[in-house]
Amino acid sequence: MDFEWTEEQQAFRAKLHAFLEAELPDDWEAFSKHGPASPALTEFARHFCRKLAENGMLFPHWPKEIGGEGLGPWEQQILAEVMWEWGEPRGGQYMNVNWIGPTMVRYGTEAQKAKYLPQIAKGEMLWCQGFSEPNSGSDLASLRTRAELEGDAYRVNGQKIWTSYAGLADTCFLLTRTSDDRKRGITILLVPMDTPGITVRQIPSLIGEGDIHEVFFDDVIVPATQRFGEEGQAWEIISYSLQNERLGIPRYHLARKALDRAVGILKESGDFARESVRIEAARCAALCEAARTAIYAIVQKRVDGLPVGGESSSARFATVQAERAVSEFVVEYVPEALAGGSDYLQMHHQRGIVAGIASGAAEIQLNIIAGDVLQLPREPR
Amino acid sequence: MHLALNEDQTQILDFIDSLTRPYATVPLHDTSFALTSDALDAELVEGGFLDVMAVEELGPVTAALVVERLARLPFAVEAAASSLVRPLIDPALPRPLCLVEEGQLRRPVRFLRPGATVVVVSKSGVRSFTAGQAQVRAAGDEVLYAYPVAYLTEVPGDARVHDVAADEILRAWRVALAAEAAGLLGAALQSVTTYVSERQQFGRPIATFQAIRHRLAEDQVATNGVYWMALRAAGSGDAGDAALAALHAQEAAKRVGYDYHQFLGAMGMTLEHPLHLWTYRLKFLTGELGGRGENALAAAAAIWG
Ligand SMILES: Cc1cc2nc3c(=O)[nH]c(=O)nc-3n(C[C@H](O)[C@H](O)[C@H](O)COP(=O)(O)OP(=O)(O)OC[C@H]3O[C@@H](n4cnc5c(N)ncnc54)[C@H](O)[C@@H]3O)c2cc1C
Repeated sequence: MDFEWTEEQQAFRAKLHAFLEAELPDDWEAFSKHGPASPALTEFARHFCRKLAENGMLFPHWPKEIGGEGLGPWEQQILAEVMWEWGEPRGGQYMNVNWIGPTMVRYGTEAQKAKYLPQIAKGEMLWCQGFSEPNSGSDLASLRTRAELEGDAYRVNGQKIWTSYAGLADTCFLLTRTSDDRKRGITILLVPMDTPGITVRQIPSLIGEGDIHEVFFDDVIVPATQRFGEEGQAWEIISYSLQNERLGIPRYHLARKALDRAVGILKESGDFARESVRIEAARCAALCEAARTAIYAIVQKRVDGLPVGGESSSARFATVQAERAVSEFVVEYVPEALAGGSDYLQMHHQRGIVAGIASGAAEIQLNIIAGDVLQLPREPR
Repeated sequence: MHLALNEDQTQILDFIDSLTRPYATVPLHDTSFALTSDALDAELVEGGFLDVMAVEELGPVTAALVVERLARLPFAVEAAASSLVRPLIDPALPRPLCLVEEGQLRRPVRFLRPGATVVVVSKSGVRSFTAGQAQVRAAGDEVLYAYPVAYLTEVPGDARVHDVAADEILRAWRVALAAEAAGLLGAALQSVTTYVSERQQFGRPIATFQAIRHRLAEDQVATNGVYWMALRAAGSGDAGDAALAALHAQEAAKRVGYDYHQFLGAMGMTLEHPLHLWTYRLKFLTGELGGRGENALAAAAAIWG
C-alpha cells in the first residue's frame, strides 16, 4: 500500500490549480458563493467549460475516442476535488463529465451521440435532471409524470421538483412513466427545455436563490427520437449512470478546506487557544479524513475494475458526517460566516447542508449499508 | 417540590397564547429568513409579559416559561435577555437588549440596531450603552440566521458601569439561552412530527420507519430535558444548573439541526416550510457563551470546582 500521490498525479493537481488561479476572476469567492447551481455561476460555466475543454481539463478521464485524455479514476477524483474546492467553476456541467457523457456513449442512438456528444465535449451544454417529483423522492420508482406515445411523439404531463439548473438548462434528462410496471415502466426522454408546455418555477431556499425548481409539464410534445434507450429501460440506465456517479461530489475535500479556513479565522482572533475549540476542530478533521480514505478505497476498486456495491454508501455516509461536523463547527465557533463574514464558509455551509439529502438521503444510504455490506436480514413486509 | 404550573402561570401562558394567536402561523408567501413583528413586540411590552420576573409572586420560573412560550412562535421576539437578564441589571433599560461578551466583536449580535441597549459582560464587570448609528454595522442582506443580526463595531469608553457581578449575569444569560432554546426545540419538534406523519414514501408515512421514529423519540428526550433544566435553573439561581441547562440546550440544538432537516428531505431546504425559523435560531444559539465546550467547563467548575 502506498498513500502518496505519484509525481504525475501531483503535477496534474498542481496544473489544475494553476489554471484556475490564472483563469478565474479576482472576485471569484464572492462570485461563486452561491454555488454551482446559482444562475450567475451557471452562466459563467458556459464560457469557462469551453476554456477547460480547449485545455483538456474538462474530461481528461474520458477515453480518447470521445475527446478525453484517457486518464484514470484517480485523476478523475483529483479533478473533482480541485474543482469542488474552488466552488465548482464547471457549474452544472460536472454532471456531463461524471455521468451524462459516459451514459450517452453507452446507451445513446447514433443520432443522439452525434447531436449531443460534440456539444458536451466542447463544454457548451447544460442539462438538468428531472427525476424527483413531489410524491417521489426516496421512493423514486413511484414517479408518475406520464408520457403517452401518440404516433411518433410522446405527450408528457406531470411535475418534477427540486430540479437543479432547470432555470437555465438546455435539455432535461427526464424520467417518465410509460406503463404501470413500477421499475420497468419508466422511460427516459431528452427534452429541450424550451419546448412549449414546460413551466419552471424557482423555489426560495436555504441554499441560495435559483438553486432548486419545480418544473411543470403540460401537454409537452416530445418526438420519439428523443427517447433515450428503450421504453422501460430507464431503471437499468440510471443504475449504470449511478456507477459512474457513485462517489458523488468530493464533499470531504471542501469540508476539510472549509475547516482549515475556519481555524485560520480562529487563530487570528485568538480563539484557537481555547482547548474546547481545538478538540472540536480535530474531531472534524478526523471525520473529513475518515471520509476521504473511505472514498479513496473505492476509487482503488474502480481502478482495479472491481464491483463497488454498498461500500460506496458507506463512504458517502462518512462524507455526510464530515459535512455535518464542519458546518456545525463553523456555526458554533465562526458564526459570522453565516452573516456576511466569509464568502467561502457561507458557500460551504449552503453546499454542506444538502449532503445528507441531495442524490439520495443519508437514511437510505444506511439502509443500503445494512443490507448490502452487513448482509443483515430485511425487515418483514 | 411541586412541578406543576400554578394558577398565575397557567393564566399568563393562556394570555400569551390568545395574544399571539394571530402570530402563530407564518404569513402566506413570506419566505424571509428573520421574521419579526413590531406589532407583536409592542403588544407583549404593553401587556407587561416581559417584566414578570420582578413581580414577586411570579419570579424567574414564570419569566422562563414566558420566554419558552414566545420562542415557539415563528416570529423572533427579543424576550429572553429582557425577561431574564435585564431585571438583574436595571429593569428600565430600553429594549431590545443585546448581550455581548467582551472581546467577541467578530460575532454577529442578535437584535442589534441603533437604539438597542448593549450589555457587555467581561470578567471584570458589566457595562451597558445605547447603540448609536456608528456602533452598528449591518450584516448585509444574506444573513442565514432567523434572527435579525448586526455587528457591533466598538464598545464606547464611557459605557455605564453596573454594580452587578459578571458571574451573575453570565448565569442569567445561560438560563435565558436555555429557556429560549427549549421553546425553539419544542416548536421545531412539533412541526417535524406533523410533517413525517403526513409525508408518504414507499406507500407509508415516513414516520412509520423505525429509523426515523427512534431518532425523533431521542429528540423528544433532549427537548424535554432542556425544558426542565431551563426551568430548574431559573428557579434555583444556581450557576451549575444554569451552565448544565445551557450545555444541554446547545447539544440538543446541534442534534436536531441535523435530524430535522434530514427528516424533511429537500422540503427542509426551502424557505416555504417554516422549520428553518426555529433551527436557524437554534444554530445561532449553539455558539453563544463560547459554545458547548465553554459551557461544559463552566458547569464542571461550578459543580466540582
Ligand atoms: C439541493 C438539492 C438539489 C437537488 N437536485 C435534484 C435534481 O436536480 N433532480 C432531481 O430529480 N432531484 C433533485 N433533488 C432531490 C433529491 O434527489 C431528493 O431530495 C432526495 O432523493 C430525497 O427525497 P425527498 O426530498 O423527497 O425526501 P423523502 O424521500 O421524503 O425523505 C424524507 C426523510 O424520510 C427518510 N426516509 C425515506 N424513506 C425511508 C426509508 N425507507 N427508511 C428510512 N428513512 C426513510 C429520508 O431518509 C429522509 O430523512 C435535489 C435535492 C436537493 C436538496
